[in-house]
Amino acid sequence: MEITFEHVTHSYDANSPMANLGLDDVSLKIDDKKFTAIVGQTGSGKSTLVRHINALLKPTSGKLTVGDRVITSETNNKNLKPLRKKVGMVFQFPESQLFEETVEKDIMFGPMNFGFSESDAKDAAHEMIELVGLSKDYLQKSPFDLSGGQMRRVAIAGVLASNPETIILDEPTAGLDPVGRHEIMDLFKNLQSKGRTIILITHNMDDVANYADEMAVMSQGKLVASGLPSDVFNNQDLLKNDLLTLPQSAQFAQSLAQKYFQFNKLPITIDELSAEIKQQVNGD
Amino acid sequence: MEKIISIKNLNYTYPDSKKPAINNLTVDIYKNEWLSIVGKNGSGKSTLTKLIDGLIDADSGTIEIDGQEINENNIWEVRTKIGIVFQNPDHQFVGATVEDDVAFGLENQGMPREQMVKEVDHALELVGMHDFKKRDPQTLSGGQKQRVAIAGVLATKPRIIIMDESTSMLDPEGRRTVLNLIQNLRQQQDLTIISITHDISETELSQRIVVLSDGQIVRDDIPKNIYNIGTNLSKFGLEEPFSDELISTLRDSLELPEGYLNEEELMKQLWKLRSNM
Repeated sequence: MEITFEHVTHSYDANSPMANLGLDDVSLKIDDKKFTAIVGQTGSGKSTLVRHINALLKPTSGKLTVGDRVITSETNNKNLKPLRKKVGMVFQFPESQLFEETVEKDIMFGPMNFGFSESDAKDAAHEMIELVGLSKDYLQKSPFDLSGGQMRRVAIAGVLASNPETIILDEPTAGLDPVGRHEIMDLFKNLQSKGRTIILITHNMDDVANYADEMAVMSQGKLVASGLPSDVFNNQDLLKNDLLTLPQSAQFAQSLAQKYFQFNKLPITIDELSAEIKQQVNGD
Repeated sequence: MEKIISIKNLNYTYPDSKKPAINNLTVDIYKNEWLSIVGKNGSGKSTLTKLIDGLIDADSGTIEIDGQEINENNIWEVRTKIGIVFQNPDHQFVGATVEDDVAFGLENQGMPREQMVKEVDHALELVGMHDFKKRDPQTLSGGQKQRVAIAGVLATKPRIIIMDESTSMLDPEGRRTVLNLIQNLRQQQDLTIISITHDISETELSQRIVVLSDGQIVRDDIPKNIYNIGTNLSKFGLEEPFSDELISTLRDSLELPEGYLNEEELMKQLWKLRSNM
């Protein structure tokens, strides 16, 4: 689904003198079926931004369009279910939201809430548990007996089970080990290739460089840049003002350029960096 | 070197599990050392922490802390020597203000108020959060929250601080601040640091790395030798250091020395190759 923010401002405690802007006049288009990363320091408005997409938060002013749905300050809370079925959200530390007595029931909860029959929800649970890299043996266990990484996978399976078109991920891999992180990121990339739109909030710039088609940078509630990762990571203003950190490959290239080497554009992945180094050393 | 923790033949299996979470583990940890314990999710890292802090009882084996073997009778006393900073800063706050929060552990110890105020101020000074003492912890950034959590731990004057994935939720800036702070505190306060992580880049400041896999120690060495394991680190759920990954993509066409090079060493080699042209 295409998602468009038009001059969206969100004010927390709008009526109090302490009002502070969670979002400040954000206009942004998130393309259908693309993998878009949203980055920015803690408190920059990333989570506030994505919570508008399934109307958990509504604009104080401005409007956004999610597929054929328009959301403004006037949007009422009735009839949001179809939207929320289409937009699945995996929150930070989703394992804290597990509550059922078995993993199977926990994964089935979302789909049943969106009107799946019990047997369809069960089928979805059986399919999703393997998709997130756990065997079916886990379905009858209590979610609270699992390790943190396994609980995370169960929580993700629960969101995927309703078959959302757009999947929003708020730091889905924080606290996972690197192997687990790559598995989960590959899973999202794979879902994208099957036609889903993926929106990822992350602090990990290597994941942005390796997985995202587009990126947006937030700072103090404002959108300060958006575009292709290879362009955004080469935006000197952002770097100078500490609004963005670089992927490891770009950092390495920057240090390497102190002597002999020159990069017209910083490489952002290991493969790009490696090709550049070889070319400059061997001159071929 | 003087031992502060000595673990011998430790075993622990969770009640409804067939596989041991800790499998005949033996390790010594020395005073003022920074030891990193690394391993993938489910390798036994958190279980080991719980055993050291006496939150669960071992099935067999012994844990000696500062010369005392832990048992039912002394666990409360021994536990005061250990402070733990957890992963999620939001789950650690109990006070309405930063200073209340830091005071919490001291109130539990029954410290007189006047002395408590002093200790709280001192702990907040140490972590550079004194200016924030009247703030609501929820209004702080992740890195600031973890610094307050560290102050809460420091106030109780532990000998050992366990960092249980305590920087994994922070942004890169917050992470750097916290790791540098821990390094300074270790030196100034003569603390022993045990940091538990699966992020290899967080182990650079430590003096020794223990790699856990299936509840056993599979490697115990200085960081350089651990990083040298290269791609095989992924077997243990760890990421290959960046410089090593880059080197492996360069070797087919550039001549580089054998073995592990850190980023700086690699850069020097590349400059040499380029300047020889």
